[in-house]
Amino acid sequence: MKPTRTTGSVIALWVFGVLGVFVAVLPLLAGPYAQAIGRSVLTYLILAVSWDMLIRSGQLSFGIAGFFGLGSYAAVMAGKWLGMAPILTLLLAGVVVALVAAAVGSVVLRLRGMYFAITTLALAEIFRIIIRNWNNFTGGPNGALLSGVIFGGNAAATYTLMLVLGVLAIAASEWFEHGKMHFALTAIRNNEVVAKSSGINIYRYLLIAFVITSAMQGVVGASYAQQFGFVTPESSFHMNYTLIPLALALFGGMYTSWGPVVGAVILGVLGEYLKLYIPYGHLIVYGLIIVLVLLLMPKGIVGLVRARMREVSHD
Amino acid sequence: MSKTLRLQIILGGCVVVAAVLIFLWKPTVLIYGVQRAGLYAAIALPMALILGVVHIVNLAHGELMMVAAYITYYLSRSLGVDPFVAMLITAPVMFGVGILIYKLTISHAVKGPELNQLILTFGVAMVLSQLVNLLTTSQTRKISLDYVTASATIGETSFGTYNFLFVGLAAAVLIGLQLFLKRTRLGQAATAVGQNPNGAEIIGIDVQRTYTIVVAIAAGLMGIIGTFFLTKFSIFPAVGGAYTMKSFCLVAMAGIGNLPMIVVSSLILAVAESSIQAIPGGSGWAPLVFFALIILVIMTRSFRRSS
Repeated sequence: MKPTRTTGSVIALWVFGVLGVFVAVLPLLAGPYAQAIGRSVLTYLILAVSWDMLIRSGQLSFGIAGFFGLGSYAAVMAGKWLGMAPILTLLLAGVVVALVAAAVGSVVLRLRGMYFAITTLALAEIFRIIIRNWNNFTGGPNGALLSGVIFGGNAAATYTLMLVLGVLAIAASEWFEHGKMHFALTAIRNNEVVAKSSGINIYRYLLIAFVITSAMQGVVGASYAQQFGFVTPESSFHMNYTLIPLALALFGGMYTSWGPVVGAVILGVLGEYLKLYIPYGHLIVYGLIIVLVLLLMPKGIVGLVRARMREVSHD
Repeated sequence: MSKTLRLQIILGGCVVVAAVLIFLWKPTVLIYGVQRAGLYAAIALPMALILGVVHIVNLAHGELMMVAAYITYYLSRSLGVDPFVAMLITAPVMFGVGILIYKLTISHAVKGPELNQLILTFGVAMVLSQLVNLLTTSQTRKISLDYVTASATIGETSFGTYNFLFVGLAAAVLIGLQLFLKRTRLGQAATAVGQNPNGAEIIGIDVQRTYTIVVAIAAGLMGIIGTFFLTKFSIFPAVGGAYTMKSFCLVAMAGIGNLPMIVVSSLILAVAESSIQAIPGGSGWAPLVFFALIILVIMTRSFRRSS
């Protein structure tokens, strides 16, 4: 049951929507540097949204970096060995990562909670070791190069690609938020026993959610690798790709589509400046954000704004 | 009960047979495996204490060891003393760090869902490793000591003996923790809090104080273990992460709350790793062993639950 929309929230929705379109289109007018920042923001935005989609079921995945890196490698390997068109490698990476996530998830989702969280935390390291050892296929510790980058390095085209992927991710998240999926996942998060006795097949829903969100992370990894044209075990599975999306989603507000989006836009832009001022160790900021947000504003920015709006409408 | 006993006997038998076979194949594999098991058990025991006894998940476990190793490194460099002398300062400092981390962060998530503890301590782990990265750069550091190269020869095999120190360390930590839990009032209080925090509060146990001290003891132990680690291995800001995961693997294998079984699970992990390292071309794959074991544990647990 949804509360009826007040005039205030309709106005807010319109303002937010127009602002969103404006922010999304702006980099296309502003030139390559803005587009580069926009691409990076969108990369983390999709990762943050996909992570949030799963946590709505109460399952905490630390596997983002693992699936991101796996997607990167799948795309570059497909380009290198099969000569596949860059845009098709994104699809292939999604399928490869979905299969791997299904295999991992079908075991690990049987014991949930901390077992799931810690096992996924190990994934990036595990994939990295396998890829580093599988020398003759993956290029081992040296990584692999593509002969060219996607769209010949055209910044506007790659930005548009990321924008399309971003919109798709938000659409997927909204689908999770409003469909049958939403009720199943929320019920599982609130109380597994009750959910089970209401006839929800917990295992199946969690597995579907895990596979879809992991595949999204794999596609982002693939598009990232195609933009830069190379992969290495150290850079492709970097802890960044887990740490930053978590911080963005928490900062914006967990358990909603728009929380991670807001978090990604605000922190993503600030993060670009941060990188300029503290090139080494700027990641500490994201660690601090995670700790501080959980302790001081567990509902994030979106939660704060919502509470404020409710106050205003009650006055 | 008899069924689990039989299972344990079968399992124990398999381990002994495997050990004998490995010893006949390559004695050094078993020797290095036992030494490594000592290291793993020592690191995992403090996690077993806070996860098994008071049910706090700490993903910053390995990072505490890393921080301790760095503190000892800089103390022993700047004061010009042996790391084991510097440890006398490191351990109390880490005890204080434990209190600080508990009071500032974990205490706010102790009653909430497990999820918040996991995210929070993940954040703490990241802050600790990035802080060290920011202060000292990611360069690897090592202290070279002449006594760590000690070796012995039995028959035709010669091997390093210094690492047997880790076996002694693990034994000392295990015995110390068992005495603490069984013989001291605080240890008994910790067990009571772990079983039922509300009940413990009703009978007059200061629950928050108990949590604080248990976390601080674990951190203080990491001060000692981090120093031992430093005497033999290179350190860098990300060195702790793998040990958090291996410790969790060992605690999960032993059964959460079962401290003595950590010794057995450490032996299995360590001997398996050193066996794989002994196979030509296998050394790169050894870091996968703990993951395979976690998967195995999850499969058997979920099988047992559903049957």
